[in-house]
Amino acid sequence: MESIRSFEQLEQYSQRLKASVNADLPTVMICFGTGCLANGSREVADAFTEEIKQQGLKVNVEIGLKTTGCHGYCENGPLVALRPSDILYLRVAPKDVPEIVEKSIKNNEVIERLVYTDVNTKEKIAQYQSIPFYKFQKRIALRNIGHIDPTSIDDYLLCDGYKGLSKALTMDSDAIITEVEASGLRGRGGGGFPTGTKWRSCKAVASDVRYVMCNGDEGDPGAFMDRSIMEGDPHSVLEGMIIGAYAVGAHMGYVYVRDEYPLAVKNLQAALQDARKAGFLGENILGSGFDFDIKISRGGGAFVCGESSALMRSLEGKVGEPRAKYIRSVEKGLYDKPSVLNNVETWNNVPVIILNGASWYAGFGTKGSKGTKVFSLVGKVNNTGLVEVPMGITIKELVEKIGGGVLGGKGFKAVQTGGPSGGCIPKKLSDLPIDFDSLTEVGSMMGSGGIIVMDEDTCMVDVAKYFIHFLVEESCGKCTPCRDGLPRMLSILTAITEGKGKEGDIEALKELCDVLSYGALCGLGTSAANPVLSTIKYFEDEYSAHIKDKKCPAGVCKKLITYRIDKEACTGCTLCVKKCPQDCIMGERKMAHIIDESQCIRCGVCKDVCNFNAVRIE
Amino acid sequence: MENVTIIINGREVEAVKDQSVLDVARENGIHIPALCYHPEVTSSGGSCRVCLVEAHQGGKMRLVTSCNYPVRKGLEIKTDTDLVKRIRKGVLELLLSRVPDSGVIKDMALKDGITEPRFFTDEGEENRYKCISCGLCAAVCEEVVGVSAISMLNRSRDKAPGTPYHKPSTACIGCGACAYACPTEAISMRDKDDTRRIWGKQFTMIKCSVCGKPYIPDAQVDWIVKTIGKDRAFFDKCPDHR
Amino acid sequence: MDVDIKKVDEIISRYDKSEESLLAIMQDFQREFNYVPEEGMKRLSDYLYVPESKIYAMGTFYRALSLEPRGKYTVKICMGTACHLKGSGQIMEVIDRELDVTRSHTTVDQRYTIESVNCLGACAMAPVVVVGEDYYGHMRPSKIMDVLNKYK
Repeated sequence: MESIRSFEQLEQYSQRLKASVNADLPTVMICFGTGCLANGSREVADAFTEEIKQQGLKVNVEIGLKTTGCHGYCENGPLVALRPSDILYLRVAPKDVPEIVEKSIKNNEVIERLVYTDVNTKEKIAQYQSIPFYKFQKRIALRNIGHIDPTSIDDYLLCDGYKGLSKALTMDSDAIITEVEASGLRGRGGGGFPTGTKWRSCKAVASDVRYVMCNGDEGDPGAFMDRSIMEGDPHSVLEGMIIGAYAVGAHMGYVYVRDEYPLAVKNLQAALQDARKAGFLGENILGSGFDFDIKISRGGGAFVCGESSALMRSLEGKVGEPRAKYIRSVEKGLYDKPSVLNNVETWNNVPVIILNGASWYAGFGTKGSKGTKVFSLVGKVNNTGLVEVPMGITIKELVEKIGGGVLGGKGFKAVQTGGPSGGCIPKKLSDLPIDFDSLTEVGSMMGSGGIIVMDEDTCMVDVAKYFIHFLVEESCGKCTPCRDGLPRMLSILTAITEGKGKEGDIEALKELCDVLSYGALCGLGTSAANPVLSTIKYFEDEYSAHIKDKKCPAGVCKKLITYRIDKEACTGCTLCVKKCPQDCIMGERKMAHIIDESQCIRCGVCKDVCNFNAVRIE
Repeated sequence: MENVTIIINGREVEAVKDQSVLDVARENGIHIPALCYHPEVTSSGGSCRVCLVEAHQGGKMRLVTSCNYPVRKGLEIKTDTDLVKRIRKGVLELLLSRVPDSGVIKDMALKDGITEPRFFTDEGEENRYKCISCGLCAAVCEEVVGVSAISMLNRSRDKAPGTPYHKPSTACIGCGACAYACPTEAISMRDKDDTRRIWGKQFTMIKCSVCGKPYIPDAQVDWIVKTIGKDRAFFDKCPDHR
Repeated sequence: MDVDIKKVDEIISRYDKSEESLLAIMQDFQREFNYVPEEGMKRLSDYLYVPESKIYAMGTFYRALSLEPRGKYTVKICMGTACHLKGSGQIMEVIDRELDVTRSHTTVDQRYTIESVNCLGACAMAPVVVVGEDYYGHMRPSKIMDVLNKYK
């Protein structure tokens, strides 16, 4: 990678690069996203390396081998994609590798058993773009992930990388801000604040020093969009930040990455170094006279550091405590200087908005929410994974068409969006188009894009308790409503789930929610009411059942359920008898077993080990 | 310094731009309860949430902490609406359940009609004594005294001030500024004869050469002499007899 | 506990001499010594002119840091929403029942430190448990102790 000092040089380098690449080279792209890695894609990659060596194939001449970021179809990993055929193989094991090389690479044949099979029609679909999971997606933020080696700047350049930057550097900085405003891009981290407006406000503040920052502290449980972008396409984030810095007049930028994402830190560091060597960062970028550099900062394991003012304190080397935002951070942010903090996905969209134009981007989405959004679709859904769709898709379409429906054919109950700051949206609202405003109107919020699918076996009171418990642990402890109010909400919710709920509990919860919503210092506290209020609003009957009838309809709350063995289904195999930690299952071989309910602690081990589905929850 | 006119409870008052609502209210004899704020400590405030008021600006209304909300043109403040009263009452109820032993909090809560919190109270092992974790002590130690002997430790409910490892701090000069500043008298400082005990550390006090009263820790004098070069002899007499 | 001061200084020297480097340095201490040692914090305090109390406060605030040595193996139980819905709570219960874990989440024999983490981003394999660097997906209450016992 040579050092590029001008637009002309960049253009020439890109042309040379394109010419040097054989677009028809059969290439194996192995997904190294966390899900696939955990499922064994590293062993698959090793198997390919071994097979290539064994067969004496010349890498980059006869066969290409790349590891990529998250493909998104995590449910079916390890994923192996082939170029240029665009065939996608699912659940690949090391033992499949010799066959893939022999049949698909050398002879262009499709291996039927490894491709997608429609669960109903049994139709086999080899090319990934035609698989329902991908067909309905519009991948803008995820444009490169799965197609490039994230550690290769050349791969990025081949996908029009840094073209947005070189166009931006020829524009007036005000014009760039106008373009971003016109695109309708709103913050993808949860706030949904219009990005262009934020940049303009920052630029308007008189100051010699300004900062831009990237919030990579994705803390919502169930959300891994930003991780996939930072790991799988780090240059897209850097390019966006350089453009933004140029637009507002910043010369120093930071990427704050969550401590739990070491691979993201590693890939970002590598991308930074390459970008510096190439001349996209540092002094006189592409000969424009603009200086800018970026530092990576690692988080320390604190959810609250995803809050913008807490993040800035953490960056400064302090405890991550939020402060009152009466003076906004675009006026006084990092080190009290005007600062722009945007989310990973927001920055990632900037280069293509500049390159393709605002009206192209605004052509997707709804009136109030332009563009697309990456969602992590998880929970009780068949196709768990990462998807990107235009704003405005309905919950039903997302869960059914792309998600493939609820796991195990169970009844769809609700989706939870927005993490601990969001709320639950019940089945009856599943025709709701997903966008910033519609979600807020029904008592939830977009948040970072986590969508948790819940079924008939999910207890909504338990869900509220789960989120409040999460927030109790993550509260910074500075303000009274959050620090002292959340534990009291948790104790009321816990009592309800243990059959100790009483008249007046719901009112007490609602009052505490108000104290939080109006009185808390930061967004963690002010939005903490959402999970509780939304479940009370839409699932009041479940709360009633717990409080009045002392029952948990979904069969989740331990103190309100009993485990019972179905005499008809039990084969007397004694497996549960042996595994029960309380030794409270009686029964001999070939005789129906019985659980002593007085000793049973509802640990679930018996149900877990039973191969005959004989353990029932009542 | 730009002057602005704002409205508090229907009354026009003069203020300086970016002054805190609480300061402006106090200057005009309007009472807003507060605990964690001290006018001399810029990093204080925003923690206890007792000083919440309604702020109407730009067509929007929200509850804000008056101790650190900056006054700007066009601002209207209401300190005693039903909403403010309700939320303040909720905050006090939470504080009371946190520190049921605190006389200060009991009095404040009683004024709002709260005698007994509805929620569980921190007792036994989790007795917070009187500390409301407002951070004023640590802020004073850092900003006013400049030694940063204590800091706010931990997160969530366990957030509390302390010295590193809860061991006697080498930085502490025994000045007691933290104890004087604490709004709920939660910091234990015991003066007996010519020794003072605070944050687990013992200090010898200098006795006034005139009245014989022990009045200032030796360590504090050392520190003042070191940092501002004052003559040590200045401290031979207590303030009453200088 | 005696800590190699030369190593402490070497770690400090890897970073810019700025308060911004505090957290990263402390995390490197954590990685090197399995906890953040008092001598390390004292050294940092002298080097950066930051009061010891502030550095100590960071040690108590950030979950990634521990002031006491962690166990030989860190066991991370994902408590993310997807994992919770698929039963991570029950896995945690088994561990609480079978292992003698102290308040600092480390077993008495110092073999394991049990941590609950909020989402590892592998939701398709919920519930997820990580031991050291090894990921285990689709974990079940009946299987967790077998997995843990593999680690001596």
